[in-house]
Amino acid sequence: MSPDSVAAVAEVPAAPSGSSVTRELLLFARRNPLAVAGALVGFAIILVAIFAPVIAPRDPLKANFARMNKAPDAQAYFGTDQVGRDTLSRVIYGARTSLFVAFSAVLLGTTTGSLWGVACGYLGGRFDLVSQRVMEVMQAFPDLILAMAISMAIGTGLPAVIVAIAITRIPFGGRVIRSVALSVREMQYVEAGRASGASAMRIMTLHVLPQCVAPYLVLATTHLGVAIVIEAALGFLGVGVPPPTPTWGNMLADAITNLVPWWWLVFFPGAAITVTVLAFNLLGDGIRDTLDPRLSPAFLRMMTGGRRG
Amino acid sequence: MKKYLLRRALFALGTLIGVSMIIFVVLRVLPGDPLVAILGVEGHARMMPADKARIMADLGLSDPLAIQYLRWLRDIVTGDLGKSFFRGDTVRDLILHRGPISAEIALLALVVSWIVGLPAGIASAVKPNGWLDAVARVVSIVFIAVPGFWLGLLIVLALLFWFGYKAPIIIVHVWENPWQNFQQVIGPAVVLGLAQGAYISRMSRSCLLEVIREDYVRTARAKGADEKVIVLRHALPNALLPVITISGVLLGFVLGGSVAVEQAFGVPGLGRALVIAIIERDIIVVQNLVLLYAAIFVVVNVLVDLSYAWLDPRIRY
Repeated sequence: MSPDSVAAVAEVPAAPSGSSVTRELLLFARRNPLAVAGALVGFAIILVAIFAPVIAPRDPLKANFARMNKAPDAQAYFGTDQVGRDTLSRVIYGARTSLFVAFSAVLLGTTTGSLWGVACGYLGGRFDLVSQRVMEVMQAFPDLILAMAISMAIGTGLPAVIVAIAITRIPFGGRVIRSVALSVREMQYVEAGRASGASAMRIMTLHVLPQCVAPYLVLATTHLGVAIVIEAALGFLGVGVPPPTPTWGNMLADAITNLVPWWWLVFFPGAAITVTVLAFNLLGDGIRDTLDPRLSPAFLRMMTGGRRG
Repeated sequence: MKKYLLRRALFALGTLIGVSMIIFVVLRVLPGDPLVAILGVEGHARMMPADKARIMADLGLSDPLAIQYLRWLRDIVTGDLGKSFFRGDTVRDLILHRGPISAEIALLALVVSWIVGLPAGIASAVKPNGWLDAVARVVSIVFIAVPGFWLGLLIVLALLFWFGYKAPIIIVHVWENPWQNFQQVIGPAVVLGLAQGAYISRMSRSCLLEVIREDYVRTARAKGADEKVIVLRHALPNALLPVITISGVLLGFVLGGSVAVEQAFGVPGLGRALVIAIIERDIIVVQNLVLLYAAIFVVVNVLVDLSYAWLDPRIRY
């Protein structure tokens, strides 16, 4: 970071006034209309997931043998499946599972990776060397295949899927945040902390960690989309969250048990995955564009609420 | 150069040994008894303990873990990869039989991604913020978000619905019937290739934009060179290096993605075999196939690194 941007950061008052945050959000919105669209859609999907029981027209698990394999009509906007369950309700409840898994996995994996990365970057030395090798080994697996193997090993319930996806996220968090921590370590205020005898733990948590918040948020948003796709793929392959809990992936797997699958059983769950991933990707891209190629101090301030270092 | 080559190879070997250890540990600590998976819960309950012990010993699962691991390494070196629990066929035969079709899909996907992605990236970079650029960027954003297996399902469904067409479902090797083989691999290859192509076009766009700003390109312009010559002959070669790197990284995405995409298209490739083995908890098959996928990924990325020296005369190790 250049000296003047550090100065700009220093000028910010400790407690941010509401108006300046609003102003910067508006600035961000004007520069990245697509990111805002993504944020709005993503937010809407989160709301749908939270309020699924209120929004869903029917019970997603209730079979209705009088109405099996019905194409979309006025009674069931997205049609019904082989046992007459309402596809729209299942897609809505599917959002719950998918988002819960994706958010938990990213929270768990990216956070673990980031903390590990801070330790690697700040401590350096042999710890860093060994950690780098371990992360390299983890990244040698294609994502989906590692997730499949892990979820096979620890069972196919919801927690297993979350842990499996989280583990695949760790090295990404680790590598990016490590590089941030490496550059922060050389900054003067960190050196000052060291000189005044602060412990490594204290410097890492109070001085290095806050600098990693913005890149962490970028990473987390970007990886949400990846996590959703992996979750869906696991469900589709029959090694994800098991039925009857509806997930977008296992709905697709269900659909193709028919020799000639009904189009609405394939189209709607997949469209839900696509729209959700698109929304989070657009948001992530927007945030990254704002931060790249240089971490802009304005945005860092916005993300960390003005309190830095 | 030779020294670098050696070091890089040793490094990759170390990574792969780490990979094999992780696979081994992950698959051996699984809570379920492998016999339960093989015999089913009821069959397992009805069996005498002595018989159980005999089967475990036959499968080599009752030895100490270190011995089991070393035996696996020995098997890898000798090329005898053990047998499936459920079928008589050896893992080596499985790989030799199903591998070629998955390899074809991956290679063809690579070709598709460059054919689609590179021209799109060039068109975007030549007139940044023009309408072609806008279209290319939107399309690439969409293709990055669309899950390949879903796109695959839609294509299969559309072909079936409108043309009553279905690709052959048993393995047809290219040397047996090239046309049928082509029908089998083209679908998955296009789906995987489009998603990669989206990344390629993004990457080539931004690299090309960076290179076009450089002095030597301005010099070429000043000398009055044709714009086409400037972009294709002067700028492009220098912009390609990062694109090649990302192509190597994307291979991980193709290898993982192909597992789901093969399932969507019903292609009986290696990915399908892996999924079946995982569902059946066929440890021997799973450990070897996962290692194979990781090994391919690692080796290709070493090759990408090495291609740098060959493509860029400034880089000498």
